[in-house]
Amino acid sequence: MIVWVMYDIEKDRSRTKAAKICQQTGLYRVQYSVFLGVLEKNQFDSLHLQLEELIDEEKDSIYMFPMSKDELKETVLLGQAFDKDFVTDEVRSLFF
Amino acid sequence: MQIFINTYGTYLHVKDEMFEIRVRESKQEKFKTNHIAAHKITSFVVSKGAAITTDAIALALRHNIDIVVVENDGHPMGRFWHSKLGSTTKIRKQQLEASLNQEGIRWVKTWIGEKLANQSEYLIDLAKHREKLRNELQEKAKKIQEYRSRIEELEGKQVSEIAEMLRAMEGNAGRVYFEGLSQSIPKEFKFDGRSFRPAKDAFNAMLNYAYGVLYSRVERALMLAGLDPYVGFMHRDDYNMKSLVFDFIEPYRIHAERCVFGMFSTKKVNKAFFNEITGGVSLNQDGKPVLVEHFVKYLDQDQIRYLGRNQSRSNALQMDAHKFANSLIGKV
Repeated sequence: MIVWVMYDIEKDRSRTKAAKICQQTGLYRVQYSVFLGVLEKNQFDSLHLQLEELIDEEKDSIYMFPMSKDELKETVLLGQAFDKDFVTDEVRSLFF
Repeated sequence: MQIFINTYGTYLHVKDEMFEIRVRESKQEKFKTNHIAAHKITSFVVSKGAAITTDAIALALRHNIDIVVVENDGHPMGRFWHSKLGSTTKIRKQQLEASLNQEGIRWVKTWIGEKLANQSEYLIDLAKHREKLRNELQEKAKKIQEYRSRIEELEGKQVSEIAEMLRAMEGNAGRVYFEGLSQSIPKEFKFDGRSFRPAKDAFNAMLNYAYGVLYSRVERALMLAGLDPYVGFMHRDDYNMKSLVFDFIEPYRIHAERCVFGMFSTKKVNKAFFNEITGGVSLNQDGKPVLVEHFVKYLDQDQIRYLGRNQSRSNALQMDAHKFANSLIGKV
């Protein structure tokens, strides 16, 4: 499934950690506190647990939104948009 | 996702359990860094002039990612792979035995037969849209079929007994086939038979690179199936060892040929993709990404109907490798 993860975390350390965890799980950073990518169900669950441990529930918030491919196709992107093919893992080769 | 590293001075290392790829296009520019999660990657294809840390190799090995070092023409020179076998040693023992008996002959005949069938089929496909060449192409397709049936008839106790005849038939069919392709390609790209190291023309330069990509895929598929890529039945590799990869690749060469030829006939190829080198032509930094993008999509994304299922060509290849391994130990 395609998953959006967004957060508002007060403490710098936890925020940096959260970003790292999201990237390690295979999400791409589309804005400073917004991540997007394709996850398996179990990856989703483990990400959920890892992030849960990290935050201060009194102050911080994290949203994890699953989304279907069709819905992603209908999203409107303005300005510095990300590459839809890339975040849905449809890019199969990368050149450097 | 396959990562291709071609830029001189690229640095691949590990940061936070992820791969970090650092590239600098020129000295004036700053480094560009990219982070990619390990499980998103299936393999690295690296040409000379890049630096890789041992940590990066270790992370790749842990995630079953192979690191292939390739020459400028895309031909793999070697690879890092964990030292475990893909499957039981029984397969390797049987493979050695088969390389010396009639079972080996049966397989070699199947592979080459399939290759020739593919070639003849492709010429017939090409004939459909080429009014003027139709008769000639169909004639050629028939000729290749004749070679195929002559291969079927070959008999012996060991591959080495019939190897020479096999090679001759295969070579003759190949010449007829590439002549057919040359006639059908847009005029400005006409070529004169196969050539490599260096390729003498644009078509061969592209095809050689695609074969290189394919070769590395086949080697990986064989290793995953638990086979030894260096115990071949008939073909020899560049070190003059019998290499199974060169035997097993035959039925799949058509993927490279159809994809590359398709790019030429649909005008996706540009003269700017090639550089003149001494005695030939080579695919350059502009051409490689275009070819690889097409070819990887052709192999991994486009689906074909195979064994009653819709699946990618590379999946079908992997299934064939497993089937071959299983048949060696009598499981099929």
